[in-house]
Amino acid sequence: MKLYVDHDRYGEAPQFALVEAVHNSVRDLVRRKLKESGDDWASFVFGSGEKLITKADFEAIDAKIVATGYRYSFTSMASVRDRPDIYKPAPDTTTNADTFCFEHPEAVTGPPDAEGRALCGVGDNVSRRPTNIRGIARYIRSSEQVIHYMKNGMPENTVAIIDDSGGTLTAPICEKFHAVICAGGTVRSHLGILTREYGIPCLMNARISGIYEGDEVEIETTAPAKTAEAYQTGQDMPAYIWRIAK
Amino acid sequence: MSGAETRTGVTGNTPLTYAQLLEANNAIQICGDETYWLCVTRTVQGSKLFPVSAYILLSYANAFYRYPEVLRKIEKNMRAEDVADRCRGIGMKVQAATMGWCLPAFYLLGREWLLSLGLLRPQDAAEDIAYVMDFWRRFELGWHRNNGHINNAAYGHRSQILPNRRLEVFKADIFPCVPGEPLHEATLGFLATVSQYAFLTACECRLNTANTGPYKLDDDQEMLVRDFMDMGESSLPWLDGVTADITYNNLTVTMAARGCHFDILDDWGSFESKPEFRGEMLSGVGLYTSDLLTDGHVPVGMGSPEELTATLNKITEELKVAMNKLWLRMADWSRDQLMDAGALMYYASIKDIAHVAGCFEVSDWLEIDPRAERLRPILNDEYADLALGELVGYLTLPNQVMSPFEMMKHSNKPQRVLTPLPLSILAGEDYVPTVGPIQPGSTTLDPKNDRYNTTRGTLTLAEYNQAVRDYTPESLTPKYRFLCETWVKYNAHTELANELYKIDQRNSRTLKGRGTGKGPV
Repeated sequence: MKLYVDHDRYGEAPQFALVEAVHNSVRDLVRRKLKESGDDWASFVFGSGEKLITKADFEAIDAKIVATGYRYSFTSMASVRDRPDIYKPAPDTTTNADTFCFEHPEAVTGPPDAEGRALCGVGDNVSRRPTNIRGIARYIRSSEQVIHYMKNGMPENTVAIIDDSGGTLTAPICEKFHAVICAGGTVRSHLGILTREYGIPCLMNARISGIYEGDEVEIETTAPAKTAEAYQTGQDMPAYIWRIAK
Repeated sequence: MSGAETRTGVTGNTPLTYAQLLEANNAIQICGDETYWLCVTRTVQGSKLFPVSAYILLSYANAFYRYPEVLRKIEKNMRAEDVADRCRGIGMKVQAATMGWCLPAFYLLGREWLLSLGLLRPQDAAEDIAYVMDFWRRFELGWHRNNGHINNAAYGHRSQILPNRRLEVFKADIFPCVPGEPLHEATLGFLATVSQYAFLTACECRLNTANTGPYKLDDDQEMLVRDFMDMGESSLPWLDGVTADITYNNLTVTMAARGCHFDILDDWGSFESKPEFRGEMLSGVGLYTSDLLTDGHVPVGMGSPEELTATLNKITEELKVAMNKLWLRMADWSRDQLMDAGALMYYASIKDIAHVAGCFEVSDWLEIDPRAERLRPILNDEYADLALGELVGYLTLPNQVMSPFEMMKHSNKPQRVLTPLPLSILAGEDYVPTVGPIQPGSTTLDPKNDRYNTTRGTLTLAEYNQAVRDYTPESLTPKYRFLCETWVKYNAHTELANELYKIDQRNSRTLKGRGTGKGPV
């Protein structure tokens, strides 16, 4: 039995294997239930199909994928917290803080220059400023860390390194940041919008390597702010990030 | 302004016509083109707190199954174009983002996702789709009646919606400020805090903020009208309790800027400028509140620069206290609760039109329909990120791939975001007209408390619905409602025009009672 949408002159498989696997499983489910119903499509789609295709069927699709040993990547910390059985393990953001650093494969790096600045990466500048900004790198990647800084205060000159381009995780402490390096998003992501409103220097879409907790860093906030046209055309407008030699 | 119009085909009374299908497909294409531009150029979603992509897909499915009925219910009380007139002059969450883009896009992206899953054919729910697109078109044309476009994109990403009489008041009452002055500092601090707060109350989306304009003030200054909405105990249940001390549910900031041109006001209600706007460019500010029980914008702390400074600082502190309480509540939520809040935030982004029509019901807007809920188990973070990426960015779901001859607007690729309705139904191909009535839903969130922050104090829902039904702002009474900008241009010398202007000037510090004359009173 074929579904109406199985006859598609131009359509190809989805780009990503997981999407293809899930969609194929759902289509198999629909074919099976349609046949089981004995109805035509018109009676099935908003009729018998709504009773026959249940949440348990979708749970079975998920379980089948997990049974292969596949574990999903997560974005929300709540996802891996609530279902550690189906997600890849969460990184420990507390006990190994001193030895952790982002290692982006596209990070541009270089040896220290005459001023002792070692190139550690690039990002997209949110707002151009008259001078570059220096401060102390601190990774902020979990709710527990945010609660810690809510209770104990945010140290001065903190350059927050965040892998969350959203505006909610760091909401209670964002205004205390000296600057932000965000390993995701664009200058129009929520964190980019908020740092612009707060007047906090910020590089988004940062690709960095070799910056550890407590390092002094400099970010090139004198670089031009990345424009909508640059994103649309794929033009790179790099703002550099350096680690200062101790 | 009530009573649903019987429209051939879209109410199920008669078959769809060729013209209606063409109109619907035009609306679908407008929405699809702009969706692609917005998603590619305007943002990248991501959050460590909220499972954003997962809740977005859940909300899309909920919208597909529920919007047709809730919109029809609204039109039993008030037509779409009348809803637009009722809201254009106040800062409620009936704005560019929610109505200009969310309404058609969430509904149609839900359809597109379900198509890719094999749960639909393109012709299924054809009458629903034509109806939702017709509702959207009529609302948008009403909302944009002062500029004549269907959305901000059609206006070259500009959003000038207000009439001259309101803009005269905003301009005359705005307090100039320069960097270093207390009012300047208080304004920047407030704007940053309220923006942060709005992202949090909206579960990591920008739907509790909106910007319209720009409006030219002089050769060197432009003004944005910036709305911040649903800040207190409103129809978002997660705000109950923690925002009880928030004074104003909606605030509107008139923001003058010197030295930049706001060149993009998009259909997400966000702005860009050249050169990029920075705090030192802020050159003037005004503050107002409004809702369905006010006749336009009511000044807040606008007696003097000192009063406004103190007011902004006080509200900023209120927001910070509420933000910390709300954040701690959300940080303790389960993934399902985070998903429900986000999905309902998205799905119910248009909920205020039900408040406008005085027919808001919690079960219509704050529950996940079981037909959407059943999909939750496949919405892990990775699948949701990838599937959403294919749906709105890569356009690589099979239903989005077109003939190799096609060159899509903005990308030149043989793709489309949204599938048109097949015209073959006019040739007799079978279709199912509607998804049918909404079904009793569910949520893992705490039930909504019966408290709604309004300009008449905290009301119950029954009181709020009744108060809205009982109140018509004077400027929207039959005597004045259709006295449009074209009429004013040629009739400003009449007493009727003078009366019209005085309505908007009632609360003005500088123009009260002036009427259509020029200059200060």
